[in-house]
Amino acid sequence: MYDKEKTLVDAYMSGSLSRRGLIKSLGAMGVTAATAGVLVNAAATRALAQNGFDWKKHAGTTVKLLLNKHPYTDAMIANLENFKELTGMDVQYDVFPEDVYFDKVTAALSSGSSEYDAFMTGAYMTWTYGPAGWVEDLNEWITDASKTNPDYNWDDMLEGVRASCAWNGRPGGQLGSDDAKQWCIPWGYEQNNLTYNAAMLDKAGVGVPGNLDELIDAAAAAQAANDGIYGVGVRGSRSWATIHPGFLSGYANFGQKDLNVSDDGMLSAAMNTDVSKDYHAKWVKMIQDSGAPDWSTHTWYQVGTDLGAGKSAMIFDADILGYFMNGAGNAMEGQLAYAPFAPNPAADAPTPNIWIWSLAMSTFSQQKDAAWYFLQWASGPEHALFGATQMDFVNPVRKSVWADSGFRDRLSGSYPGYVDMHDKSAPGAKIHFTAQPLFFDLTTEWAASLQKMVAGEVPVDEGLDQLAESVNRQLKEAGLG
Amino acid sequence: MDTVSPLERVLRGLAITVVILFFMFPIVWIFLMSFQTNETILRVPPSVVFEPTLTNYTALITGKLETAAGTLEIAFMRNLWNSLFLSTASVAVGLLLGVPAAYAFGRLKFRGSEDIAFTLLSFRFAPPLLVLLPLTIYFQKIGLADTYVGLIWVYQLIVLPLILWIVRGYFEDIPADIEYAYRIAGHSWFSTFRKIALPLAGPGIAAAGLLAFIFAWNNFIFALVLASADKQPVTVGALAFVTASGIQYGQVAAGIVLSIAPTFALALYAQRYLVEGLSLGAVKG
Repeated sequence: MYDKEKTLVDAYMSGSLSRRGLIKSLGAMGVTAATAGVLVNAAATRALAQNGFDWKKHAGTTVKLLLNKHPYTDAMIANLENFKELTGMDVQYDVFPEDVYFDKVTAALSSGSSEYDAFMTGAYMTWTYGPAGWVEDLNEWITDASKTNPDYNWDDMLEGVRASCAWNGRPGGQLGSDDAKQWCIPWGYEQNNLTYNAAMLDKAGVGVPGNLDELIDAAAAAQAANDGIYGVGVRGSRSWATIHPGFLSGYANFGQKDLNVSDDGMLSAAMNTDVSKDYHAKWVKMIQDSGAPDWSTHTWYQVGTDLGAGKSAMIFDADILGYFMNGAGNAMEGQLAYAPFAPNPAADAPTPNIWIWSLAMSTFSQQKDAAWYFLQWASGPEHALFGATQMDFVNPVRKSVWADSGFRDRLSGSYPGYVDMHDKSAPGAKIHFTAQPLFFDLTTEWAASLQKMVAGEVPVDEGLDQLAESVNRQLKEAGLG
Repeated sequence: MDTVSPLERVLRGLAITVVILFFMFPIVWIFLMSFQTNETILRVPPSVVFEPTLTNYTALITGKLETAAGTLEIAFMRNLWNSLFLSTASVAVGLLLGVPAAYAFGRLKFRGSEDIAFTLLSFRFAPPLLVLLPLTIYFQKIGLADTYVGLIWVYQLIVLPLILWIVRGYFEDIPADIEYAYRIAGHSWFSTFRKIALPLAGPGIAAAGLLAFIFAWNNFIFALVLASADKQPVTVGALAFVTASGIQYGQVAAGIVLSIAPTFALALYAQRYLVEGLSLGAVKG
């Protein structure tokens, strides 16, 4: 780095220069904003190197990662040179598209391959990987002061998100319990809330819906007032992924659970209560009246693409899906807004179910301590701040990043309502499912039942009773119920 | 004498046009999409009138994909090269091994020949994932995991049975008397195979090679499980356009155009052999 740039960055690090002032000054020297971000992080990394931790302990070691093609991965790769400089380690990585990513992970882990030391995963997947012995309990490293740098600040992680990545392995065991194993470390996460097209709602003369009944009415009104669009986008394919976003977030908001856990640890279906039946009936009506005509094929990308193309007025889905659809290359660029959403009028706040992209360590890794050096850097506060302020590393999982004024200003400037939405939702944001090994099978069947209800093949009451019966039978067969 | 009435001719032409439109429409539509941006592709209602752009092809060739989330690195051309190399090499190895084997099965009736031939065919029946996990473990032990050699070997599961069974039918179609006559003239068995059987079965071998190439090209799962990102074929690489920040439909279309081009050109060039290969060898086997 040239001396002038270095002096500026050091001034920023010592607090005598604001971030805006730094970017402006570096800009005057011909340094782009993205490069300025990397320079700032290089300075942060130099500061990290001074914290008394032996960062060079594994110098010369190479760790290999298995990664999903995602903006989180891009942010990490953009900052990777700083890690290499800090530790003297080398990092290799294989990046696979999301459609095939988990097939690749499962194949690598189930064959006991030692090729990859660490990999990206979803928290739900560790409910399979953990009990199978494919991933390590990371508490062993987090709690070891000789292996974790003093500035890692594990408590800085949002509680609901951190707890959602920890499970004791007992079916029905509470996530984040005292005896829970930390199967993975949260990296970035998604809440499920409302993203809406303000112009379409304005044209219909309706405000931003505040509960499920209002959402149903607003979706119908927006659909009627705007030509060629549908009211609300939610997922509908026959997959577990249809249940976990908006649908379960709303379901949890009414105090409903997927499964009951008895005192002796046995599980039973909980989705055929009266409240649940009422919720399902409203959800089904909403889709029938104002959902996508081809709803039953919709995965996250159809939901997002339609919103970005101006084919739907709202989505009740992942907030970052709404975030990306507001960006360049979309017909609705800069026209979307965000709102926290509590479907239950009696609820105090939203209770979004969450998807967490996390980092896990393979049991078959031959260099676990070195892999942990990478994991603690990649999930550390410095990289999180770099990714959130310079790249599209949203939503960050660290409280310190959400408290950063630069990050909040940046979001508020281009994504109206996003920060407020997150602040109001974060306290109730966690995985609301019951952790158990049949998770993917049972939720896929739940989605199939929902499809039948929407298609009118079965009444909601009857469909839920049938679903509960089937779930109970499967739990019994698996020795869980 | 021409017995076809003008009306019949018109109707026939019309029917052919409808059939061509039906089958060609998806390809033409994809071709048109490859010259559009996401915004024009997704507009409502869709239209065939647009301002063409080469950005999709530029992105694929330069490896820089512009998305709402910034610039992404993509390795599509590398994937294309991997597909070309893996398919060509696999078919070459398959022909080298399969043609002599097919001759043996077609000409020399020996004990267990049908059983062996059927066993080889049965490789096509096994679900790939069933085979792949144990294979991954073996490959790691013998150092073939994540190598082109290992992949070409595994691709023989696709190409070898196909070549063997199609070419065998061709060899059986050649009258044995021609070969006997050549042998009586004092030529060796190998010379008979090379000078008589091979040239006569040439079209069949070409058809089998072509079909095997198409099957190998379309394979998805073998490289995904057995190799790193840098050895992935185009079938896996094409999925990179489904990104967290949306689907890049224009690039998907351009990717499809580029990836079907080699097989499309081959199929057009040799379609006569293909039809023969399918209708003769495979059926009569």
